[in-house]
Amino acid sequence: MTAEVWTVTFRVFRRKGAEAPHYDFFRLEVSPDEYVLDAIERIWAFHDRSLVYRYACHHATCGACGMRVNSVEKLTCITTIRSVARDGGEVTVEPLRNFPVISDLTVDMGDLYRSMEAVHYPAVSPVAAAPLPTIPAKDGISPGGPLREEPDAHRLNDCIECGLCVSACPIATTTAGYLGPAVLAAIQFQGISGKPALAGLADCEDGVWRCHSAYECTAVCPSLVDPGWRIMDLRKQAIGRRFRRLFGRGETA
Amino acid sequence: MDLTQSAPKSGEGTGLWLLKIATGALVIILLGIHLTVNHLTAPQGLLDYHEVAVYLSHPGIALMEGSFLVIVVTHALLGLRSIILDLKPSRRVLGAVNWGFSIVGAGCVVYGIWLLQVIVSRGAGG
Amino acid sequence: MSVQTRSPSRAAQWLNFPHRGVGMWAFAMNRLSALGLAVYLFLHLFLLRQLAEGPSAFDRFISLVRSPLFTLSEWVVVVGGLYHGLNGVRVILTSLGVAVPYQRQMFWILFGIAALGSLAFAIRMFTA
Repeated sequence: MTAEVWTVTFRVFRRKGAEAPHYDFFRLEVSPDEYVLDAIERIWAFHDRSLVYRYACHHATCGACGMRVNSVEKLTCITTIRSVARDGGEVTVEPLRNFPVISDLTVDMGDLYRSMEAVHYPAVSPVAAAPLPTIPAKDGISPGGPLREEPDAHRLNDCIECGLCVSACPIATTTAGYLGPAVLAAIQFQGISGKPALAGLADCEDGVWRCHSAYECTAVCPSLVDPGWRIMDLRKQAIGRRFRRLFGRGETA
Repeated sequence: MDLTQSAPKSGEGTGLWLLKIATGALVIILLGIHLTVNHLTAPQGLLDYHEVAVYLSHPGIALMEGSFLVIVVTHALLGLRSIILDLKPSRRVLGAVNWGFSIVGAGCVVYGIWLLQVIVSRGAGG
Repeated sequence: MSVQTRSPSRAAQWLNFPHRGVGMWAFAMNRLSALGLAVYLFLHLFLLRQLAEGPSAFDRFISLVRSPLFTLSEWVVVVGGLYHGLNGVRVILTSLGVAVPYQRQMFWILFGIAALGSLAFAIRMFTA
């Protein structure tokens, strides 16, 4: 097997403590089918052991390796070098926006995690409630329908709390108080009917009304959460709730 | 975004947002009429004084242009306020914006209605 | 010890659409046109005070703004208005949960209508 070899320069954002940020350049020989995270790991292993970055699972499940690659948010573990560079070219790797930088490519996502907890985003939900297409079991391998019929079957919810949507959102850039796509999507997932606390969070200036429909969250979401659609649905819920209250039917309606 | 620190506020909720959207929709309709009559069908794109006076002498048209003024000013000020909200103003700044915009809005409407009344009362012959 | 990563300024990032999708372009252009139209609205209202000064003052003013430079700037206002209004239709529909998955296609259709409308106005305004 002859492996294709590309020479790619990685322009990596660096910042330690209070020092001014700068970019370091690393010229690497890579296979275009390797992932950006593989290159970052190789830079750390063979070029600069002081490079700080974060990762865990390497298969788009943990949501830890989110970075901006050429100014667009990506899970670097599933972003092939071929998709973001060309042979002899350059790739810029930066930490996510709208979060405080701890060091180099690592940001502090504590606020996001705390907010997801505050809105009680469930880690799992019944398979029957999942927005999954019914998979035909033609090949005899796919589970097909039966899983849905298991009343106790649960699955991990789609949002992996990677923060890509928050980084991509133009409103989160200027409005630190904005709940942001991930948290609003978590609220929509549960619905606000009969939940005054969630409804109050969603229906305020830092909630659904701050969104300006750029749909960048949906564009970068690696996990089919579609936060943009969920925010719009939440608006519909908020308007419906307001009208129900107007006609004297409260939270129980 | 930290919910442990930020409490819900009511700077822009369903009500104001719906008002922005509703006035926006009305602006599309009224601006369509306004543009067609005042600029598209007019010779050289602009009405002269006499044509304006004739146009406004229909009570329905004067009423429409008056409502258009109220609606478009409302939409513009709500939109500007929304942009300011994106810049995370302090409560004090937002309070000043609310007052300032209310005064500007009311001023524009009073001015516009005064202007309409001046032209209508002077009549098309004037 | 931690610092936000901000390249230029924060408000300038409302306009960081070169690497972004259609939605970001739609948003950035909506905001730009909004600011332009708001300035125009208040200017327009202010200049119409000439009407109160009577026919001769107003007609002198109108003959001034019939010059090509004013016509060009009026056309820019029309373009901004067409875009803002048509994109507004998209924002209203998607905000009410209508056709959210098709917001991209909707953008291109409405953008096309705005472009055609701008062209129609250009022909009408510059050939009259």
